[in-house]
Amino acid sequence: MSILEVKNLKKVYTTRFEGNTVQALSNVSFSIEKGEYVAIMGESGSGKTTLLNIIAALDKPTSGDVLLNDKSIISIKEKDISAFRRDNLGFVFQDFNLLDTFSVQDNIFLPLVLAGKTYDEMDERLKVIAKKLGISDILIKYPYEISGGQKQRTAIARALITKPQLILADEPTGALDSRSSEGLLKLFEEINNEGQTILMVTHSIKAASKAKRVMFIKDGEIFHQIYKASMTDEKMYQKISDTLTMIVTGGERNE
Amino acid sequence: MSNFFYPKIAVNNIQKNNKTYIPYILACICTIIMFYNMSFLSAAKNIGNLSDSRSLRQILIFGEGVVGIFSIIFLFYNNRFLIKRRKKEFGLFNILGMEKKHIARVMFFEMTIIMIISIIAGILAGILLSKLMILILFKIITFKVVFGFEIPIKSVIHTAILFSGIFIVNLIYNIFQVHLSNPIELLKETNAGEREPKTKWIIAAIGAVCLAAGYYISLTTKYPLAAVGGFFTAVILVIIGTYCIFISGSIVVLKMLRKNKKYYYKLNHFVSISSMLHRMKQHAAGLSNICILSTMVIVMLSTTISMYAGIEDVLRNRYPRNISVYVSKVSESQIKKINNAIEKQTSILNAAPKNIINYHYIYFITIQKGERFTIKEIDNYFPPDAAELVLVTIDDYNRIANESESLSKGEVLLYSLNGNIEGDVINISGLKLNIKRRLSSLYKEGRLTSIMANSYFLVADMDTIKEVQNLLNSGRNNVEHFSYYYGFDVNAKRDIQIKLTNALKNDLTKINPKVNVEGAEREREGFYVLFGGLFFLGIFLGLLFIMAVVLAMYYNQILEGYDDKERYNIMKKIGMSCEKIRQIIKNQVLTVFFLPLVIAVIHLMFAFNILTKFLAMLNFTNVNLFIICTIITICVFSVIYTIVYALTAKTYYQIVRE
Repeated sequence: MSILEVKNLKKVYTTRFEGNTVQALSNVSFSIEKGEYVAIMGESGSGKTTLLNIIAALDKPTSGDVLLNDKSIISIKEKDISAFRRDNLGFVFQDFNLLDTFSVQDNIFLPLVLAGKTYDEMDERLKVIAKKLGISDILIKYPYEISGGQKQRTAIARALITKPQLILADEPTGALDSRSSEGLLKLFEEINNEGQTILMVTHSIKAASKAKRVMFIKDGEIFHQIYKASMTDEKMYQKISDTLTMIVTGGERNE
Repeated sequence: MSNFFYPKIAVNNIQKNNKTYIPYILACICTIIMFYNMSFLSAAKNIGNLSDSRSLRQILIFGEGVVGIFSIIFLFYNNRFLIKRRKKEFGLFNILGMEKKHIARVMFFEMTIIMIISIIAGILAGILLSKLMILILFKIITFKVVFGFEIPIKSVIHTAILFSGIFIVNLIYNIFQVHLSNPIELLKETNAGEREPKTKWIIAAIGAVCLAAGYYISLTTKYPLAAVGGFFTAVILVIIGTYCIFISGSIVVLKMLRKNKKYYYKLNHFVSISSMLHRMKQHAAGLSNICILSTMVIVMLSTTISMYAGIEDVLRNRYPRNISVYVSKVSESQIKKINNAIEKQTSILNAAPKNIINYHYIYFITIQKGERFTIKEIDNYFPPDAAELVLVTIDDYNRIANESESLSKGEVLLYSLNGNIEGDVINISGLKLNIKRRLSSLYKEGRLTSIMANSYFLVADMDTIKEVQNLLNSGRNNVEHFSYYYGFDVNAKRDIQIKLTNALKNDLTKINPKVNVEGAEREREGFYVLFGGLFFLGIFLGLLFIMAVVLAMYYNQILEGYDDKERYNIMKKIGMSCEKIRQIIKNQVLTVFFLPLVIAVIHLMFAFNILTKFLAMLNFTNVNLFIICTIITICVFSVIYTIVYALTAKTYYQIVRE
C-alpha cells in the first residue's frame, strides 16, 4: 500500500520583477510505500527543497497532486493545514529548529501541546521515545547546553512523538560532525526498521547510502533511482557516487 | 574615495533603520521643543519681576532643570537601545573590510545628521510654539496677556549647547561600544541573552521588603508634617521595589507557574510563560521604567490638576474669612480700638462686614504623647509629634456658637483638628482636665490650619485658662498674652477688598504693631501663580513623561518582535496555525504591556493616603476632588496607553510576520 503518492507535480515561480518564470519542478511523479526509507538527492537548485516543501504542505504546486493515504493534501483548507501537518507529518531540519526558550522536554512536547494533549499522556509518550533516542538524561537541559547530535536527536523525538505517518527530513546531517551523523543515520535505520516511513532530502552520499531507495532529481524531474535491496552500504555508496558523477557529466538517462 | 562616501552610507543607514530612527528623531525633536519652551518661559521678560512672578519663575527654572536632566537620561537610554540593535550591522561592515575607525566615521556622520535635523527642527518648532505656551501659562495663572513675540537668545543657546552635548556623549559612547567588541561578537550581539534567568530570591525579597516598607510608610502617615520626609523615602523605596520585583519577582512567579504542569502545558500558557521567562531579563528594566514613569505621570497630573481645580477651596481653607485680623499680646482697650477702626474703615469703603467672628485665644506649641502634653522648647525644629493647643474662653464660645454652655473649673470642651485624644481626660504638664464634650465643629480656624500639626482647641473658663497658662509658662519670662482674632466677609469687588485690607493694615498697626491683616483677595493672585505654575509644570512634565513612556513601549515592542520572529517561524513549521500564533502573541503582548500600568495603579492606590496628607500641607483638603481628579487622570492615561499599545502592536505583528 503506498502511503505517499506524488502525481505530475509542477511548480513554476514567477520572479517579482520583470515577470521571468523559473521552473522548479517540471513533472515529478513517484510513490512511497509504507515502511520505506527513501532518500532524495540532487544538486543545489535541482528542486528538491521545493518538492519537500510541497509534500510538507508548506507550499502549493502549480499543478499536480500529492496524496497522503489516498487523501489529497493540496485540497486541504488553509485553516486545517496546520493541524494536518501536526498530526500526520514529522519534521527534522538541518538546523534543528529547536526553541531556545524551551527545555529539551518542552521542545519535544510542543507538537502535543499544540494538539491539546494532557500532560500525563505526553509524559508517557516521552518516556518511551527519550529512552529509545538516549536523551533521557538531558530532558531538563536547554538547547544551548547540549551538543549538535543531541539537538538533532531532540528534533527527531519531537518529530516522532506525534506518531506521524511520514517523517520528512531536510538535510538532517547537514550541521553535524561525522560521528554524530553516523549515530543519527543509525537511529533512522532503527526507527525505519520499526516500521516508520522516512523521506529524507540530502546532499550526503553516506546518508543516502543508508536508505532503502535513493531518487535523483535533476532540473525538476526524477532523473534516476536506485533500490538498495540486499546491497551493502559500501556497494550502495559506490553506486550513488557513480550516478552523481553521471548526472554532473551529463550522461544519458538509464532506468 | 569620494568625499561623500561616508555621509552617503550614514544617510542610507538611517533610512534602512527607519523603524527605530524616525521615532528617535521625533523624540529628540519633541524633547528639544519641550526644553526650549521651559527655558524660554523661565527667561521670558513678559513674566515680569513682581514677587508673585518670582515664585513663578522659580517654578519654571526648576522645571527647566527637570526637563534638562530628563532629556539627558531619556536620550541616552534610547540611544543605547538603538546601538544595541545595530551592532550586527556594524559587525557586518567590519567583516566586509571596514575598519573600526571607518565605522566610527559613519557613526559620526549619522549622529551629525540626526543632531542637525533635531536641533534645528526642535528649536524652530519650539520658537513657534513658545507664544502658545506663554498664552496657556498666562491663562492658567490669570495673568494679563501681553502682545509681542520674544526669542531669548540665552534659551536658544542653552538648548543648542545642552543637546549638542547629549548627542556628542552618545556618539562617544557608541564608538566606544563598537571599539570594545570584535566582529564575531558584534554579529552575535542581538542573539545574546537567551539563557534562562536564574531565580534571584534575594533580589525578589529585597523588592518585596522595599515595596512593603514604601506602602507601609504611605498608609501609616497620619500627619501632614510627616508626609514630606515620608513621601520621598516611600518614593525611593517603591522605585527600588519596582525594579527588583520586575527583575526578579516576575521570574519567581513565572517559574512557579511553570511548575504547575496542568497549567503550564496549555498552549497559550506554554508559549507565553516560557518566552516571558526568557525575555524578562532583558525587558525587566524597560518595563519598570515604564511603570515608574506612568506612576509619576499620574501622580503629577492628578495632584496638580486637583490643586488647581480646588484653588478656591484652598483659599477658603487658608482664609476662612475674606479679611482676617490677628493681633498678639493685646489688651482689652486695644481690642476696643481695633473693633472701632474696622467698623470705621468698612463704612468708609461702603463694604459692610458680615459673618463676623471675633474671639480671644492663646496658643502653645506642645509635644503630644497620647493624652499628655508638655511644652516644646523654642527652636525651629518641628517634630512630627508636635501639637498645637489653642485655648478659647467659654464666653467667646457661647457668644459665637450661640449656646449657653457652662463649665466648672477643670472642665473643657474639645475640638480636635487632625489629631486625636483617646479617653475623657487630657493631661497638660500634670494638670488633668476633664473633657466634658467633644465638638464636631468650631468656627473656622484660619491661619492655624496652615500649620499642619495636630491642633486641639480647648474651650474653658478663664480660671482654667490662667492655670494652664501659668503651668506651661512656668520658669519662662515670655508669658503668653491673649491674642485676638477678628474675621469677616465683605460683599465687595476685588479692588475694594484689597483696598480695605491695605487700609486696615495701615490703621491697625498704629494701635498695635503686632498685627497681621490677611485679605483673601489680596493673596488670591499669589495662589493662582503658585498653584497655576505647578499645574502648568505638571501638565508639561506629564506630557514629556508620556512621550517617554510611548517611546519606551514602542522600542520594547520592536525588540520583542525581532526576538520572537524566529521562534514563531519555527512553531509555524511544526504545525501552529497563523491564527493561533496571532492569538498567543496578543495575549502575551497584552500581559507584558499592561503589567506596568496595573502595577502603577496599585502604587497609586497605596500612595493615596500620603498624597492627601501631602496636599493637606498645601491647604488642599478636598479629598473627594482629589479622588475624582485621580480617577479621571488614570482613565485618560489608560486610553492613551491603549492607543499606543494598538499602534505599537501593529509594528510588532509586521516584524513577526515579515
